[in-house]
Amino acid sequence: MTRKGTKLIFFFSILFLVMPVILLIVKSFSFSWKWGELFPTTWSLKGWQVLLTEPRLWQALQSSWWIGIAVVLLNLLIAIPAGKTVAFHSFKGKRFFELSFILPILIPSLAVAMGLHMTMIRLGLADHWLGIVVVHLLPSVPYTIKIFHSSFERIGPHLENQAASLGSNKWYSFYSIYFPLLVPSIRSAVFLVFVISLSQYALTALIGGGNVITIATLYFPFLSTAKEAVIASFSLIFAVLPLTVLLLFELLIRIFLPYRKRNR
Amino acid sequence: MKWLEKDSFLFLLPAFLLTIVLVGYGVMMAISESLHKNGRLTFQYYIDVFKNNNFIASLSYSLWIALVSTFFSMLIGLLITRWLYYYLKSDFLKIIYWIPMLFPHFVWGYMMVLLFSQSGWFSSLAYRIGIIHHPDEFLVIIKDSHGIGIMITYIWKETPFVILMLLPVYHQLNHQLSSVVKTLGGKDWDVFKTVEWPWIMPVLFETSIIVFAFILSAYEVPYLLGTTYPKMISLLVYEWFFEGDWSNRPKAFAAMLSVTMFIFSIMMAYTSLLIKKRYQMMKGNGK
Amino acid sequence: MKRLFALLLPIFIFLSACSTKELSSASEAKLLEHKWKQIEQEAKNTKVRMFMWGGDEGINDYMDEWVAPKLKKQYGITFERIPMDTHEILQKLLNEKKAAEEKGTIDIIWINGENFKNAKENDLLFGPITEKLPNFQKYIDTRSLNTQYDFGTAVDGLEAPWGKVQFVFLYDASKISQPPRTFAELKDWIKEHPGKFTYPDPTDFTGNAFLRHLLYEAVGGSEKLLKQGYDPQFVKNEVEKMWAYLNEIKPYLWRKGETYPNSLTELDRMYSQGEVWMTMGYNEARAESLIKNGTFPTSTRSFVLESGSIGNTHFLAIPFNSPNKAGAMVTINFLLSPQAQLEKFRPTYWGEGMSLDPNKLPEKDQQTLKQINRGKSVLSSDVLKDHLLPEVDSRYVGWLKENWLHEVARKR
Repeated sequence: MTRKGTKLIFFFSILFLVMPVILLIVKSFSFSWKWGELFPTTWSLKGWQVLLTEPRLWQALQSSWWIGIAVVLLNLLIAIPAGKTVAFHSFKGKRFFELSFILPILIPSLAVAMGLHMTMIRLGLADHWLGIVVVHLLPSVPYTIKIFHSSFERIGPHLENQAASLGSNKWYSFYSIYFPLLVPSIRSAVFLVFVISLSQYALTALIGGGNVITIATLYFPFLSTAKEAVIASFSLIFAVLPLTVLLLFELLIRIFLPYRKRNR
Repeated sequence: MKWLEKDSFLFLLPAFLLTIVLVGYGVMMAISESLHKNGRLTFQYYIDVFKNNNFIASLSYSLWIALVSTFFSMLIGLLITRWLYYYLKSDFLKIIYWIPMLFPHFVWGYMMVLLFSQSGWFSSLAYRIGIIHHPDEFLVIIKDSHGIGIMITYIWKETPFVILMLLPVYHQLNHQLSSVVKTLGGKDWDVFKTVEWPWIMPVLFETSIIVFAFILSAYEVPYLLGTTYPKMISLLVYEWFFEGDWSNRPKAFAAMLSVTMFIFSIMMAYTSLLIKKRYQMMKGNGK
Repeated sequence: MKRLFALLLPIFIFLSACSTKELSSASEAKLLEHKWKQIEQEAKNTKVRMFMWGGDEGINDYMDEWVAPKLKKQYGITFERIPMDTHEILQKLLNEKKAAEEKGTIDIIWINGENFKNAKENDLLFGPITEKLPNFQKYIDTRSLNTQYDFGTAVDGLEAPWGKVQFVFLYDASKISQPPRTFAELKDWIKEHPGKFTYPDPTDFTGNAFLRHLLYEAVGGSEKLLKQGYDPQFVKNEVEKMWAYLNEIKPYLWRKGETYPNSLTELDRMYSQGEVWMTMGYNEARAESLIKNGTFPTSTRSFVLESGSIGNTHFLAIPFNSPNKAGAMVTINFLLSPQAQLEKFRPTYWGEGMSLDPNKLPEKDQQTLKQINRGKSVLSSDVLKDHLLPEVDSRYVGWLKENWLHEVARKR
């Protein structure tokens, strides 16, 4: 690929990625924007005012954030060991395991929502934030297992064997050998899982039962109105949350990474 | 082939319990709903579904849209990752490429309307430049009969996801191998075929199944951008599920389970083809 | 593998063993025997949670800024509005019913039509409640069909009417000087202005209402349909005129009728961009807030056809497993008070029609009612009242959805 070609790809892809955001920002401050005008003719803060005067906005942001973080952590806890096992071991029924792991995203949530809700009622987790966290694991864990599965495969089991033959203990060898190599995958997983958790509406509403208000349950009803400035402002605040999580992640990585590597 | 050791079993257990207990029970209930009519066991709903013209039309329409969108998302995602992965080590650029994932599908579809509909921004631009004089002269992209608006939305939205799945692969690849191939006189294509393809293939296939399944079952984008007839399968099922006196609900369950079974069998075929190859590859790595 | 089954078996047994038990309805029945004063006493210092669609800031503000503080002050009730779609609410209640969950989280729901029918048939509602509500007895025309039937389903006291809205067409007066008065004139107008009119797909609530109005016309009036009940055979014979009308205007519709807006929101957006020149919808005053926030042109006005305008009543109900039924009843009663209904009627927040009978209001409130200016886009109450048409059996909603697809949308 020539330099010029690379630049061109950069330019166009970024144009395509950033344009919608700019559009949303402009839209959120517009009052009236009619066909034939490249920019709104009148401006207003109404879109933001509706958002910011929503009495439960702060509470909803917080619960979305903490639920998302909990879902992310549980995902890593569940998927890293599972991904490692599936990648390094060959055993009877492995295919069955692998297929079952991906099942939750192959089946529409509408189909399983009823059974899921009744299970949660019986486990006593319905109408509680814990239930929401558990339910958010379903559409996210399959992705994380996939991500770590292929990641461990690429690393291969040999590094650990070498470390073990040198006599280092299991946890330390994980921390010093795998962890740095896994960082790109962890970053992808953290981001993806948080976004998935954040945008769950139907399951959150059903299992949370209104006891827990998240940003999605506040925001989705507004999507069925013609008041576009409100939709735009909500969309923007919605998009900022995952960015804060990524920021936090980069910060933590810089603190905890055992040594700085070239692929950060 | 041996049984799983105890340690590894414990490693798999949480993931397994989660899926089987939560989804398993849900699937069981869905199956039971789709098989019972007034308390009696029957396959009637499945027969109804497959005899329904609307369902068949919707299914083929949806498969077409899902296939095209998945293919182009994979292709564009792969090309961008391959060309730009070196630059995408920068956190800032990475975030820019992940932007579409920050927004729910509904918002992305809605953005398509704002930009590409006959009274959207590009139409206004065309008017300002003097190409058109009325909104209805603008190209029909949104709610067109071929589903082009839906495809563009999905490609736009899923390509970053493909990049997200592929980036770790490229970051972990042994790039010294690429140089070796090149010094031996190999072209870009040779590098791709011998060094990259074996590693990206499994990820690529799995990602494509995920994207494909998602497009088949997601509801928001066709709701915003779909035509009146045929409707995408997800929209039809949603209508059956919530409409009227709930009497169509078993039919909705039957339809959803059939589509899931369909995707599941593709998945099965694929894994049985690949699972052996994959293991050999992994064993060979790092030696 | 064996270990796995050993693990899973007890779990599934546990999950499926909890079969449906009978709900204990003794204490509930007792509540309905209590005197109103006693119920008010019980409701004091409790929390009431109302689940309702939360996508309109006018409605949200009415509940949060006006209703909630008043309830706190007058009854000591802490009122909480929870945004949730009616689909999800009913799904939740149905699952809870199946799992015999006696203590839910929802105290009041906002409901009507097909949703009410489903809720009633699946025993998801508590009641009858309306006979206990003083304001219902005092101010509501209890004998009117609108309060006794909800889309052809007998209300049986399970829900109390909260508001009434009427179907109107909206148009841009700067583009149309004289709106059509009959369906025939509408047809002519559509033909003269190709591409400037369309209606939402009948899976949408509003699009379906447009077709129902046409159905009334085709069969010769709503009375016939009411008398006949739900009778697809009767309608099938009479309805050819309606399909003919729709197919005749089809080539002159937006995008030549090849596709239709999926929702009223979509039609509204096209109207706001000038892509089409008319929109429609329940709630005769709905244009006001959309004009105020810049979505609709200020020259937007409304009209009804001479053959009438369908009126729609929406209701409040209490779920079977509401944790605070007394509080819910007191809250509903308050929402039916003249004070609360007048505030809802004002364009400040919501601007929606009252469910109360104006003639039953105290003199002072009648005066206030007359003085409220609902805005330029709203027709006068006399015009609206003269054109009011009832809703027919809700099964026609589904019937139209299904048949429209074959008779109109799929015809090339």
